[in-house]
Amino acid sequence: MTTAIEERRQRVLQLLDAARILADPATPLGQRARHELPQETGLSPENVALCLEQHLETKVAACDLDALLAKSTPCRKAHVLLSANVFTAPLRAISLAASQSARVDVRPSRRQPLFTQLLWEASGGAFRVVKELGPAPEDHVWAYGRDESLEAVRDEMPAGVVFHGHASGFGVAAVTSESGESASKVAVALVRDVFPFDQRGCLSPRIVLVRATAAWARDLCQEVVRALSAANHDVPLGTLSEDEAAELTRYRDTMTYTGELLHAGKSVIGFDERGNVLLPPVGRNLHLTCVEDFGSALATVTSHVTSVGAPSALHAEFAQLLPRARIALLGQQQRPPLDGPVDKRPVAEVL
Amino acid sequence: MDFVAKSDALHGRVQAFARGQGDDEFEALALEIAQFQARNIPAYARLLEARGSTLSSFADIVAVPTDAFRLARVAVHPKAMDQACFVSSGTSSAARSVHPMRRLDTYQDLAVRFATEKLVDDPHSRRVVVALAPHPGSPPTSSLGCMMRALMVALDGRALSVDPDGALFNPDSLERWLVSNQGLNFAGLERAARMALERQEPLLILGTSLALVNLLDALDGRTLRCPRTTTVMQTGGTKGRKLRSTAPDIAQGVARALGIGVERVVSEYGMTELGSQAYSDNLRMGADTTAFTPSPCLRITPVDPVRLRPMPDGEPGLARFVDLCNVDSAVCVLTQDLVVRTDQGVELLGRRPGAPARGCSLDLEDLILHRSAPQS
Repeated sequence: MTTAIEERRQRVLQLLDAARILADPATPLGQRARHELPQETGLSPENVALCLEQHLETKVAACDLDALLAKSTPCRKAHVLLSANVFTAPLRAISLAASQSARVDVRPSRRQPLFTQLLWEASGGAFRVVKELGPAPEDHVWAYGRDESLEAVRDEMPAGVVFHGHASGFGVAAVTSESGESASKVAVALVRDVFPFDQRGCLSPRIVLVRATAAWARDLCQEVVRALSAANHDVPLGTLSEDEAAELTRYRDTMTYTGELLHAGKSVIGFDERGNVLLPPVGRNLHLTCVEDFGSALATVTSHVTSVGAPSALHAEFAQLLPRARIALLGQQQRPPLDGPVDKRPVAEVL
Repeated sequence: MDFVAKSDALHGRVQAFARGQGDDEFEALALEIAQFQARNIPAYARLLEARGSTLSSFADIVAVPTDAFRLARVAVHPKAMDQACFVSSGTSSAARSVHPMRRLDTYQDLAVRFATEKLVDDPHSRRVVVALAPHPGSPPTSSLGCMMRALMVALDGRALSVDPDGALFNPDSLERWLVSNQGLNFAGLERAARMALERQEPLLILGTSLALVNLLDALDGRTLRCPRTTTVMQTGGTKGRKLRSTAPDIAQGVARALGIGVERVVSEYGMTELGSQAYSDNLRMGADTTAFTPSPCLRITPVDPVRLRPMPDGEPGLARFVDLCNVDSAVCVLTQDLVVRTDQGVELLGRRPGAPARGCSLDLEDLILHRSAPQS
């Protein structure tokens, strides 16, 4: 006879089994994913394959799963409202809901429903795919999307629902010459976090804070250009939306005027040695800025930072600065353990 | 300094152009100002080079994004030569735009000239002018405040008393600047209205939308007796604050509260990064006019946000401004405001949704953090 916690564990593991089917290029569903997701997401086929094989959570350490289960509250029914963003994100989102209840309703993104559909098929219907969510009081709702969309969704929820809203955010990276690593090694690690999903997830670093001399930071910039050019060659950048392209034009002209702009294929790297922090658009673009202290540099963006990539020597400093952000080694930001939501900022709210 | 002489000459020509004098054509003068800026602002030369512009024709002029004013000094001249530095309003901790001004006379001259055309029935008569805004400081840090003060000087110029003859005119008197840390000075506005009635003169109220909402709150449904020829200039000034009413709602409410026609509430469009303004032309064209007419020194072109090419008439695009008044900063400025060109002028459609439709994107503008003082 299985215990309740064991049943919850099994539901999550069942979803990871399904994910392994999708990650496997030899399975029909894995092939379908590789064939159809590039069209739907705008990512290149190479990037879709890379993300399925390296960034989809197909394994979980026992301790991480224990942590996930400890944090989740069992409930009558859980609901998931997904956004178009990182195509693999539905797996974690649905796993969180499944850890709470055997009854999970999922409303996929209207623009990107495919991965959820494939996961449903691979899992043998472990959850329900619905067009509209209909939560009852005390049900848990996991909603992902832009701030204003979440606000609208929240307003429509009945009283008594437990609402988990995951809104906008982005990643930053922090580097320092004191860690003793070469600029080229740092750059290669940094770029590993940039090109999966074409930087559209909230884990991807977009701002790089450099605590070093301007000369070292400039070297790093050149190394990032090299590493990003190579990555763009091996795993081509996908298609940018009109909005993303517009933001790129804006960032490009602003940085040309106010700092320096370097090109790595279709990507750009803005360099500002005076400490100005500017958020570049998604699409594998980075803003490198020299800072004296990380805290003041992050002053206006603290609440938006979901993830920090940094050498281990800086982890304690960032744990204090950004207690709700995930902190990882450079190159590991896009592989968070399956121990809860990727974005640790929001707290559940009883409406 | 050579550039000062050249700049002064350009200022003179811009002022003459605004008066309808001189031989300059708008496009040729704009091009000459852009070439002057390219010679004296390395950042602009860099931007031109990056965009492959040789500045050989008006169409080659490249716009400076407004974000640049938040992150760098946009000026041909060093800081020591600033006569004033306009700083954008805002309540967030994000960086604000800074627009250094080497000369204020061109700004003030052009602002008064165009405002007179759009806000005043009879330019030969006097009126009582007050501002529902805080005093701009000295030197002024608010372009709007500086313009309001210039309008007080040019369109009123007399003491705020029933019999102004012989009394000292003081445009910095807090009797005219009716917003302070204590909030709206409603009694001051009542006094100004009473004075205009007694003098049988029009009243000109210069106010931000936020201050006008505060006025409506203070009135709480009552009316304020004003001359029927009262005109209200309504302008932005809501940065960082969410208003529960739209600009047309506020205009309706203000007109009702002051007992004037809604066509007498005229909208002004300006920004820290621009020296010139645009106005809704409703005082002349009637209350239905929603389009803005730019000053003769200002050209507004909707451009597509990716390639920055002009959009056909009737199609929205980002507002690209060519502003002759910006002799010493950026003659061409690109904002994130969406506009559309119509037969009547330029319609404002609000800000371009800055964030792409992706879950993890944010409006870049909210996230600019300025760490260093802008440098020349």
